[in-house]
Amino acid sequence: MLNFTEETISVAGGNLQVYKGGSGDPLLVLHGAGGNAGPRRYAQALAEQFTVYLPSHPGYGKSDRPGWVESMQDLACFYTWFQEQEGLENVRAIGFSMGGWLAAEMLSMTGHAFSKVMLVGAAGIKPNDGEITDIFIISPAQVRDLVYHDPSQVPEWDELLGTDPTPEQVQQAEGDREMAIRLTWRPYMHNPRLPAKLGRVSVPTHILWGENDNLVPVECAGLYQQAIAGSQVTVIPNCGHSPQIEKPDDFVQAALAFL
Amino acid sequence: MFLMRFTERAYVNYTEEDVRNSPNEAVRLTFSNSNFNPEEGHYLYNMYLDEYEYSEEVGFDGLMLNEHHNTPTCLGATMNLEAAILARNTKKPKIVLLGNPLPIFDNPIRLAEELAEIDMISGGRLVSGFVRGTGVESLATNTNPLHNRARFEEAHDLVIKTWTTPGPFRWEGDHYHFRVVNPFQTPLQKPHPPVWIPGTGSPETLVWCAERNYPYIFLETDPQGTQDMKSIYTEAAREHGYEPGPENFGYLVRIHVQDTDEKAYDVGKGYMVGNIGVGRIPLPRDYASPVGYGSRSDDPRFLRLREQIRSDPFRVGGLDSAHYDEILDSKRWIIGSPETVVSQLREVLSYMRPGILAVWTNDGSISHEDTMRCLELMGQEVLPALREIGEELELTDPFQKEGVMPGLTAV
Repeated sequence: MLNFTEETISVAGGNLQVYKGGSGDPLLVLHGAGGNAGPRRYAQALAEQFTVYLPSHPGYGKSDRPGWVESMQDLACFYTWFQEQEGLENVRAIGFSMGGWLAAEMLSMTGHAFSKVMLVGAAGIKPNDGEITDIFIISPAQVRDLVYHDPSQVPEWDELLGTDPTPEQVQQAEGDREMAIRLTWRPYMHNPRLPAKLGRVSVPTHILWGENDNLVPVECAGLYQQAIAGSQVTVIPNCGHSPQIEKPDDFVQAALAFL
Repeated sequence: MFLMRFTERAYVNYTEEDVRNSPNEAVRLTFSNSNFNPEEGHYLYNMYLDEYEYSEEVGFDGLMLNEHHNTPTCLGATMNLEAAILARNTKKPKIVLLGNPLPIFDNPIRLAEELAEIDMISGGRLVSGFVRGTGVESLATNTNPLHNRARFEEAHDLVIKTWTTPGPFRWEGDHYHFRVVNPFQTPLQKPHPPVWIPGTGSPETLVWCAERNYPYIFLETDPQGTQDMKSIYTEAAREHGYEPGPENFGYLVRIHVQDTDEKAYDVGKGYMVGNIGVGRIPLPRDYASPVGYGSRSDDPRFLRLREQIRSDPFRVGGLDSAHYDEILDSKRWIIGSPETVVSQLREVLSYMRPGILAVWTNDGSISHEDTMRCLELMGQEVLPALREIGEELELTDPFQKEGVMPGLTAV
């Protein structure tokens, strides 16, 4: 894997799996509810400018599942602990989907989590008009169909989704889904108190969304912008819920321009 | 042997196409209630209650009810209401609730109150079963499926304590928190109404029941696998210092009688659209068993026990997706004239040896008239014959057991 190593870091009494690669200032990348897909093309590109840290959240991938991590607020506590221990406070960060919600919770807890942050298709705030798609009453295959606006433009389709998953991958995906259920079940994928708490945020925040997001409605980009003073929004046209996978070049361009 | 009558109280006024056109082609959870006609509901609830009341007349020892949510396959959405009506309108049979789905209750104290009222109104005839509920019950009530077993166990402990410990007391658990537990009404039966647990054989539940001497009611399980499951229960019971007998086990079977084998064969086809619904379309896996609902225990004991249970040929997709003749040939449903039914049941009972037999007399599209005739024949010919067989095979039920009655937790 180009430039990336896989490490195990002991945090809060458990092991955390972290992909680490590149050089330069640290950049913390927080994955979404579906799990850690590893250092994909976008992460490789970012690693040319930054030292990218891509951990698997507790309960995901090969990371341990501490019993006390039951909610997104617990998870945010876990990560501030990790940051403190590893000297990774006040760093740049990107959070995708549920990872964007995680980054927002961290922002609401402390002023020194991040120096700059990107929230991409972030869950966490309840839309006014639409709904965040309930991924727990549809099959993983149905979720996948909703993630991408146009599968034909996903450059890593064959590697990521082109073959049937192995039994180990299926088992891993179930473990990841179970952790997502634990963290986000009720209220589903949002925290009613989050917008008010985001009032404290003063770090530069960039909100990025796929125009055709079928999971977290694009109106949530505006709600995040309202909640975080001075934040800016970019909407990528003809793109679904995961711009970093569906349009990695556009995504990386926007990320580098901001970070 | 304790003989109780059961039906799921199906609603069948919809078509396969309606199900096909619904989200995820599912007959439960997301099948729109715009397909429900309350006028028909008015007729059906009363009809099903009439049938239960007639079941007392023909001689059943118990009236068994269950509960499911967001589904036409079972009109019992709040089973305790039907139980309360039967508590008042019948005199002798036990009211057997199998069971209240504990994890979906955010307030088990209210449940303890309802059950206490039913027990008092009925003059102490309540048998209070508890279940974990299917995944649909979790989803319909927005109960996190990951906490299903933990909530089941904690709610159970809380209900039993509410019934048996003078209040007021305080409860600060993992999932339930009450500052003053002190419902004024307590059950008539002391120390509490008996608890029976129905299920399809998860080893954790079998061991949990055995530890408490709670009868376990096998729901249409495969006879061979049932022997394995019984041995799991038996082993755990011995570790707790007692030898379980037929009084610790029940078995639920669809049993339908008509005057002739031919008539019964035709009428019995009505079962085919009961439990699985019209169209017989299997439920999506994420409805029936959401990720996290099943056990992910890595306890070697439970892994070994799970391994030990022989696989049921009907397990994948269940009995409900198998062909009618296949099911009848395997004697998983018993359908025929009284003579045929009794002779087949003798075989089943000899092998399974349950002290409690749950007789699922009708379901799906079986008509009221056919059901009433079935119940009549049950009373005239089948139940008396089963009682003789029960005595001959020494199938003791919990109420016949000398000493401590199974179903009462060690309090």
